[in-house]
This record gives sequence, structure tokens and C-alpha cells, in this order.
Amino acid sequence: MAELPSTFWSGWISVLTVGSLIGVFWLIYSIYFAAGGEEEEPSPVWDGNLREGEHPAPLWWFWLIFGSLVISVIYLMLYPGLGAFRGALNWSQGGEISQRLERYQTEFGPLRRLVAEAQLDTLREDAKLMASAQRIYDRNCAVCHGYEAQGQANLFPNLADAAWQWGGEPAQVEHSIRHGRQAVMVGWEAALGEQAIDQLTDYTLALGNGTAAGHPAEGQYMQFCAACHGADGSGNPQLGAPNLTDDASLYGQSAAAIRQSIAQGRNGEMPAFGERLDDTQIRLLVAWLTRPTTPE
Amino acid sequence: MNAVDLHRKLERNSGLLIFGILLVSAIGGLVQVLPSVLQDDLVTPGPGTQPYGPVELIGRDLYIREGCSTCHSQQVRPLLAEVKRYGPYSKAGESAYDRPFLWGSKRTGPDLHRIGGKYTDLWQRMHLLDPRSVVPDSIMPGYPWLAERAADADGSIQARMRALRRLGHPYTEAEIEAAPAALAGLAEVDALVAYLQSLRPPNAEATP
Repeated sequence: MAELPSTFWSGWISVLTVGSLIGVFWLIYSIYFAAGGEEEEPSPVWDGNLREGEHPAPLWWFWLIFGSLVISVIYLMLYPGLGAFRGALNWSQGGEISQRLERYQTEFGPLRRLVAEAQLDTLREDAKLMASAQRIYDRNCAVCHGYEAQGQANLFPNLADAAWQWGGEPAQVEHSIRHGRQAVMVGWEAALGEQAIDQLTDYTLALGNGTAAGHPAEGQYMQFCAACHGADGSGNPQLGAPNLTDDASLYGQSAAAIRQSIAQGRNGEMPAFGERLDDTQIRLLVAWLTRPTTPE
Repeated sequence: MNAVDLHRKLERNSGLLIFGILLVSAIGGLVQVLPSVLQDDLVTPGPGTQPYGPVELIGRDLYIREGCSTCHSQQVRPLLAEVKRYGPYSKAGESAYDRPFLWGSKRTGPDLHRIGGKYTDLWQRMHLLDPRSVVPDSIMPGYPWLAERAADADGSIQARMRALRRLGHPYTEAEIEAAPAALAGLAEVDALVAYLQSLRPPNAEATP
């Protein structure tokens, strides 16, 4: 608990608080239970017979103040308030939250551990768990990857299709979530020049169409691109180098988009969620993301 | 003495009445506010809490200028649900270098005190300029002009840092000298993103 600056301030708070309570008590006591003193001079009379203090103070007013007084005293005895006195319950805000976290751990910890260690197939069979997984996804992943996991803006990958830049095996997906990913594709414009970029763009399009064999840019592709994307263009999930032969294309299928990737490079980044999500949440997400897709 | 007598005396002497009103209305502040202001752990930086760098500082001032705290709080309360959703609850010492603090009191959007690192710079940028480009059902307004202006257009960063140093922020002369270079070429949106990315739980181990 936060400590007060000194015993002086602790005393200051206690004296002012208790003093105020006594003041309020004295106020209602002398109004309701002590006879009023005699006036030295008579108060003015209005409207023929109306004088000050003719009616007693209302009773609801007495009960309101008296009730507040009693509640304040009980509160100050139970909870921290009077300077350094912590109250009979020894309650503190920090203590309260750690107690609640502990209770949460006792109540749900074993269950959550069970989920964190369960087979993915078992998790996928449980509709409620999958609904939880989807909620975790909505809270943490959807604003980039889209609420349908469809990817967004030609910048954030589609997680619902079969293509996985960093690998679609559960262990790979888990690694992506837990530690994040940083893609590093350098831009080649300065090194290769515009003409080569145009040719490589054409070659990449040809890879997608399956007509790359014998293409004039094949030599350059082998020299500069194949180390990451593979000689056959099938990519390398270890490096986050995407498959260039399939239909999926994060940054777009057009020649202009491909050209930009080659010329300027790409530095896609996935933040690490290992600190933000616990093992159970990550396990559920992995189960949900790698579930067998139903053919449409 | 009797309360009724006191009342008579007070209502017939306006000077005394004014003094009495001031005294009674000051008690709350004297008990609640005054000792807190002097309480060390509320005004000294907590472990790992560092003053903002120049870019984050400009970003923070933009956060104030655009009124972000009208809709976003920066205080994770010590409640189970909030700790589970946002992360470690906020502590007083974390705000030692916030002048003024930006705790906020209303959440039209989510709390932002632990938002740093959750999304990428690119996403934050797109979202600030046009929220619906990434979150189709977002009700947050877009701030497209942030991309058009330079982060430190009036070159006031050094003056800002000197003012804060006078208030006790430990900026060195070298840091102040280097500040304009750190901001060179940055748009306002870059500074605001840098500030948002700096909103994380303080790393206690990183304290020198």
C-alpha cells in the first residue's frame, strides 16, 4: 500500500476527519437535543406572524445526517481512511486484486492448463472452446487480419486460406503468434536497375502461371531470388519467403504490386503476443487457425 | 456553545460567514489532496519509468491536441477483468513524467495504457489516418491531416524539453541538442505512433 509522507500527515488527516465528524455530531445534537439560547433581540416578523425558528428542523434531515455519520464511523473503522490506520479488515486495493487473481488461478488454472496441453483435435471438437478462440481472435488479431481472417489492405495476410508465409503447421503458427515475425525482403531497384526489375516482375508472373521455364529472366531469378524463394519459386517458410507459384499473394497479384515488392522490398511485421496472451489462449488460437477448412 | 447561537452569529456577520464557508469547503481538499501531493510515491517515477524522448514527447502533445483522451483512458484499473484484458494495472509512479496526466475518465474506445507493441507501426498509422481502412465498423474519426504536417513544424521541441527540465524531467543538454535531429523528416503521425508504441508497462529491470 502507498505510504503516507510522514506521521505528521497521518495525524493531520485523522484529526481533520475526526474533528469534522465531531463537528457534525455537535451540529445535530445542539439543533435537535439542546434548547436554543435566548435571543438578545427579537427576530423580525414577516406577514403578520412569521418568525425565524418557529418550526423545528425537519426530521428527515436529522436521519440523513445521523445515518451518514454512523456509516462514516463504521467505514473508517473497517477500511483505510484515517491516516495510516488500515482498518479492521486490513483491506487494500493491491491486496484485493492479487486475491482475486489468486482465486481466478485456483478456480480456472487447472482447467486452463488442461486446454493449454490438450490435443488440437480435441479442442476443435468443442464448439464452446472454438467460440472462445474466435473471441480471442476478434480481440487481438482481427483488426489487422480481418474479422473473417480474410486478410486486409494487401498488407495483412489472409489466415483462412491454405497459404502460410511462415508455415501453417501448428508449431509454426504458434511461433508466429508467440514471438512475432519480421519479414525482410530487400529492395532490388538500386542494385539491378529498372530493366531487370521489369523482367523479374514478368518472371514472377510467369511463375504464377506455370510458364516460367525458359523465361529470359530465369538466370537472374536463380542468382538473386532463388536463395530465399527457392529455385522452383515454392518459397521457404523458415525465412518467411512466400511461395510465388500459388494463387495467394499478400501484396497483390498485379504486375504493379509485384514490381513494387521487387523494387522497394517488403518488411511485413507481426508483433509478438507471447506477453499479451497466455499459453491457453495461444493454444486455442492455434487450434482455431489451423482447423481443417470446410470446402466451400 | 449552541449551534443555533453560532448560526445567528454567522448570518449576521458576513466576514465570519465567508471565512466559515471557506473553512468548511477546504476540509475535503486538506484531507484528500494536500497529503497526496506531498506523498513521495505518487510524484516520483516508478521503477523503469523514463521521461519521454523527443519524438514521443511531440506525439504526446499531439495526443492532447487531438483530444484522444476524450475517448480513450490511460488507466488500467486494479480489477480482474481489466488486468485480464489490458495487462498490468496502472500505478501512480508511471505518470510522474506526464504533465498533465492523461488518465482520462471515459472509454468510448479502449484503454491505451498498454497498447504499445500490440499492433505494428504500419497498422497504427493506417488506423489513425483512416480507421475504417482496417476496422470496417470503427466509429473513431480519421485524422488524415497528421500525415500532412511535420512533427515539429514550429521547431519548439527544445523549448518544450527545457520547460519540462525546469519541472524536474532529467533531460541532459546533449539530449536536448539532439532532439531536432531525431524529429527531422517525421510527420505528425509518426510522432503519435511512436508515442502510442511507448505506452507499455514499465520494464523495471531496464532501470539503470
